[in-house]
Amino acid sequence: MRLSVDTIGIEVAPGATVLDAVRAAGAVVPTLCYDERLTPQGSCRVCLVGVRGRAMPACTTPAADGMEIQTDDETARRSAQLALELLVSQLPARALDIPAERSELVRACRHFGLTGSRFDGATRNAGVDHSHPYVKLDRDLCIACNRCVRMCAEVQGTFALSLAGRGFDTVVVAGTGGPWVSSPCVACGGCVDTCPSGALSEPGLADPRPISRTTITTCGYCGVGCTLRVHTRDETVAAITPAHDAPVNRGHACIKGRFAHAFTRSRDRLTTPLIRDGGRDSPLRPASWQEALTFAATRLAAIRDRHGPDAIGMISSARATNEENYLAQKFARTVLGTNNIDNCSRLCHAPSAVGLAASFGHAGGTNSADDLDNTDCILVAGANPTEAHPVIGARIKQLVLRGARLIVIDPRRIDLAEMADVHVQARPGSNVAVFNGVARVLLDEGYANQDFLRTRASGLAELAALLADYPPDHAARLAGVTPETLVAAARLYGAARRPAIVYGLGITEHAHGTDGVRTLSNLAILKGAVGTPDCCGVLSMRGQNNVQGASDMGALPDMLPGYQRVTDAGVRARFNRTWRAEVPARPGLRILDMFASATAGRVRAMYVIGEDIAQTDPDSGNVRRALAACDLVINHDVFLSTTAEHADVVFPAVPFLEKDGTFVNFDRRIQRVRPALDPPGQARSDFDILHLLARAMGADLGCPTPADAMAECATLTPTFAGISHTRLDRDGPLHWPCRSPDQPGEGRLYLDSFATPDGRAALAARPYLPPGEQADTTFPYVLITGRRLVHYNSGSMSRRTPNHQLRPHEVLDLHPDDAARLGLADGDLVEVTSRRATVTYPVHLTDTIAPGQTFTTFNFPDTLTNTLTSDATDTETGCPEYKITAVSLSPVPHRADSRAAGR
Amino acid sequence: MRAADIPYVSAVDQPVVLAGLVGGEEPWAVWPSVVAAGAREKVMSEIAASGLRGRGGAGFPVAKKWSMTASEPAPRYVVGNGDEGDPGSYGDRLLMERDPHRILEGLALAGFAVGARHGLILVRSEYPAAADRLRAAVVQAREAGHLGERVHGSPVDFDVEIVVGAGSYVAGEETALLHALAGLRAAVRARPPYPTSHGLLGHPTAVNNVETLAAVPWIVRHGGAAYARLGHPDEPGTKLVCLSQRFRRPGVYEVEFGVPLRHLVEELGGGLREPYRLRAVQVGGPLGGFLTPDQLDLPLLSEPLAEAGAALGHASLVAVDSTVPAAAILRHAWAFGAAESCGACTPCRVGTRRGLELVERLREPERAGAVLADHEPLIEVLTVASLCAFGRGVSCAVRSLLRVYSDELHQAALTGKGGE
Repeated sequence: MRLSVDTIGIEVAPGATVLDAVRAAGAVVPTLCYDERLTPQGSCRVCLVGVRGRAMPACTTPAADGMEIQTDDETARRSAQLALELLVSQLPARALDIPAERSELVRACRHFGLTGSRFDGATRNAGVDHSHPYVKLDRDLCIACNRCVRMCAEVQGTFALSLAGRGFDTVVVAGTGGPWVSSPCVACGGCVDTCPSGALSEPGLADPRPISRTTITTCGYCGVGCTLRVHTRDETVAAITPAHDAPVNRGHACIKGRFAHAFTRSRDRLTTPLIRDGGRDSPLRPASWQEALTFAATRLAAIRDRHGPDAIGMISSARATNEENYLAQKFARTVLGTNNIDNCSRLCHAPSAVGLAASFGHAGGTNSADDLDNTDCILVAGANPTEAHPVIGARIKQLVLRGARLIVIDPRRIDLAEMADVHVQARPGSNVAVFNGVARVLLDEGYANQDFLRTRASGLAELAALLADYPPDHAARLAGVTPETLVAAARLYGAARRPAIVYGLGITEHAHGTDGVRTLSNLAILKGAVGTPDCCGVLSMRGQNNVQGASDMGALPDMLPGYQRVTDAGVRARFNRTWRAEVPARPGLRILDMFASATAGRVRAMYVIGEDIAQTDPDSGNVRRALAACDLVINHDVFLSTTAEHADVVFPAVPFLEKDGTFVNFDRRIQRVRPALDPPGQARSDFDILHLLARAMGADLGCPTPADAMAECATLTPTFAGISHTRLDRDGPLHWPCRSPDQPGEGRLYLDSFATPDGRAALAARPYLPPGEQADTTFPYVLITGRRLVHYNSGSMSRRTPNHQLRPHEVLDLHPDDAARLGLADGDLVEVTSRRATVTYPVHLTDTIAPGQTFTTFNFPDTLTNTLTSDATDTETGCPEYKITAVSLSPVPHRADSRAAGR
Repeated sequence: MRAADIPYVSAVDQPVVLAGLVGGEEPWAVWPSVVAAGAREKVMSEIAASGLRGRGGAGFPVAKKWSMTASEPAPRYVVGNGDEGDPGSYGDRLLMERDPHRILEGLALAGFAVGARHGLILVRSEYPAAADRLRAAVVQAREAGHLGERVHGSPVDFDVEIVVGAGSYVAGEETALLHALAGLRAAVRARPPYPTSHGLLGHPTAVNNVETLAAVPWIVRHGGAAYARLGHPDEPGTKLVCLSQRFRRPGVYEVEFGVPLRHLVEELGGGLREPYRLRAVQVGGPLGGFLTPDQLDLPLLSEPLAEAGAALGHASLVAVDSTVPAAAILRHAWAFGAAESCGACTPCRVGTRRGLELVERLREPERAGAVLADHEPLIEVLTVASLCAFGRGVSCAVRSLLRVYSDELHQAALTGKGGE
């Protein structure tokens, strides 16, 4: 469409608004109720422009061919200014004292040259609500623009906010109007981010002092990979806001990435190295870097030289950058001379890496998250995105609200199940049965894409033969659901034109987790919903920020960077040339094998970077015994973790907000991480610590900067060959594979061919096998572990922030029927006993959990959930069966006089 | 306490809207044959030929609204607007309470014309009897086979739901009404998109006033041409006019468009009850305009009334006698606006409160002098910048009051004694 703005001719796309045209022409019209993330509302009336002599709101008026738009139209401008003056007349004077860069209202007043209002009269006197630790409401600054309400509805999908009152008294309320903290608000921060007047603010931005620096980086919490703007002042984080042009989060964030940053300046940050040089029972004491490095280097070298390189086990960190992981595996292979390096993806998504690679070729999700925009049906299996990956959870909600169908396969009635077309509430451990049952229906009822199966897939005959054993009623019986539910799920997925699969740890963390991934992948292959134009594929939701990257960078016992096998002599030769070293040919130990070897005396030293294995690894009593058996334990961490308490040397490390490098998110997107803060005290990045330790051992790891490390990795790894910091800084995030500097990354994979040996997607015929641990008469309940919204993993970061106020301790979710049977009321204490340990929790009664099952997390060191968890592991990858632990429940008797004593 | 019966009179030769109440025409006379014959085109063409326009106040051509809705993808909805909020209007209430089947038949014909399977009528909560009678009528119509699945052996499914509002004047505005029907806050939203493409739950919806719907069966039965012969060439047809309680003969009158207001005030209404003397007439509800007795030769037609600073609106006539102080009426106009503003747009949300505060200043000798001049920017911003007809209507009413009561208000501003 061709039109004019103030006589400047301009071309705009169909569907554009007058505001779009005005902005495209470079003209300025102030707005207050407009936010490009939201449906335009046209209610503030300060964007009025002249169209054919009439005053029209620019934001809601559709542009039309030949339209003549006048931004300086006398009537429109006068009325817009009057509207703004009316609005200002309702506000206290402090509304205009907010720094202009934080207040669209102040900027709009500047546009009109307003310093006050010709109108006067009552202002509002409704007061503040500061009940929430992050979201602070000053009702008297509210201009009823409805942006917060729309943000909560249209982006977050929580619907916690609404406008209440009429006319002059219209104001935002949360929930049913009580304190904000008691409302369903999930503190995504969207309302604060969009508020144009300062009515909704957060502690760091309510402080009027200027921001000294803003750094654009990638979030270090979950694997979604949100781009964040980190605003610092006085060497602390004042606030973090989502980048509006961010490719993944698109201007959204969650309570963790957005608000939970106070841990960076927590007083218990480690700021000097610590060593324990008087034996295991002596205390850790502060030491100089020189002393600690010498101590660690000498003892590590001694163990290597006396017991051989394979007597050392190294665990790298999924929270560290790609460059740090690259350096860590290079350290293990060149300085120590062992392949005994692993990372915590072993404990979460190793079955994805192996399963997806076997089915499709690459060890990652098949599609970009952007492809979700085009899906008409989402199958969410074993994932709880609204809590564990909130930005993607919110995206899924919006897709469903706009008409996409939703299938949820989960033993719990998670938030998304409430809006699902079908919820397959399958019993824990029955994934393979469910997926085989669905596959059978897809084939039997003609939903399979036969062309695709003929030309692009292999293994159909074997699968079809296996599926003879999985008629829906049998599969449903194994899963504990009705056959109708299973068939309904299959039909929804089968009838969709562009179905997407989103799955998480509920699929992988099982004794047959790899089978779960393979049989789930089967569904996409049967539908031809992967590797085809417009397909949406299979997305695996990664738990930690860089769990994809840690594996991508070769922090694996059998793989070099880019999943190149250490057993391949040609691959080794290339690395050996560049590294001027000899990469061992034999694969090393996986994490849990390292512990077993340590207990058995074969592994004598453990080098653990940034993982709190003593809290987060399964059967953690066993982990502690392994650490105790070692001659040397070296640890990097930001805080003195449970693991650090078992270490001989602890190096003070830094969190993502102080790091330089890159992360890879769940959809294989490589994104820049930039330091927003300097480290406190003598803390150093893992990158620096590895270099220092190598040097202390007389070695040089090369690649002195993170950019150099990525450059070296790119030369050795065909799938990352096109990646460099320079390019990422210039062009923004890139998906891998990215095979040369002039190629864009591949978001949607396999359009021509799968990366399997025969170029075909491999269907897998895997039978249902029972879980490693099952309930019995002694341990009659199944404990499921997982994630909650406000805390993250070991809690080392989130517990040191005001998130702690929102959930100060862990609870055990229990169905009210079970509680009644056990005589437990909400909040009562219960002892949970597994075959390995006993832990006490307060119970939380909820029917989102099925009878016979319980749920909790391992966010808190005072409730060591992982002392309970199963020692069973995935048969193919060694991934622990975190999702199923047989437990018994025993109420802790009330102390009869406790209430009386309290008075 | 039982509300008094509403007096009603047909002042036309052929009652249309009151065809059932005074003309003896049974409802559901045309629906069975029309739907059985699948005569969708006939309904559409008769409505187009009739020139019927929306009677709720906006006056949009009904045939155009229906064809716009019909051209959008299913599911489509038809909605009857029974949120008759104008003080002084009770014609809709009369129809809903006394001839609900005519409205239902009109809604069914509308649904048939646009291809909707569902119709809804929102009745304001202040009309409990109307809601009860509509609900009862829906049950009877289902039993008689007029509503439900495959009505009268046709492939057409059509059913109706009666929804009660929650006490907001602005819910009568169509976008607010659609929000209310969806269970949301009854706030106005910007148009476009219009409800014909984005209406109930985001689906194409034709929203018609219940009086409009009540005219439809007659038009389909007697033909659009017969309807078009009634009224005025510029504005064919008939209209229900409500005369307020100060008239000697208050009630609902069906009249043809184009009759002089004086005919309504003096002949039908019989002038004011003794001992009152007419000082002004407000035409078209609280958002309409005030006219002086010497303006009553204006015809009952949208354009001449708008040119005179009034508005046809829903065509109620509220007589104001000479004992009512000017400032009290001005205060009432602003107070109504402030109380009923939905709060969506700035001019109305804040401006109506500022207007109310201005009137209060007539009681303050040192500030009263500026009150009338200070009205100007308020009226301007409400007129130019309001999001919906409500804010514009408040300014229309206030502007006409300032004209009609110019002398009294200037006097009040001079004295600062409140003018009441």
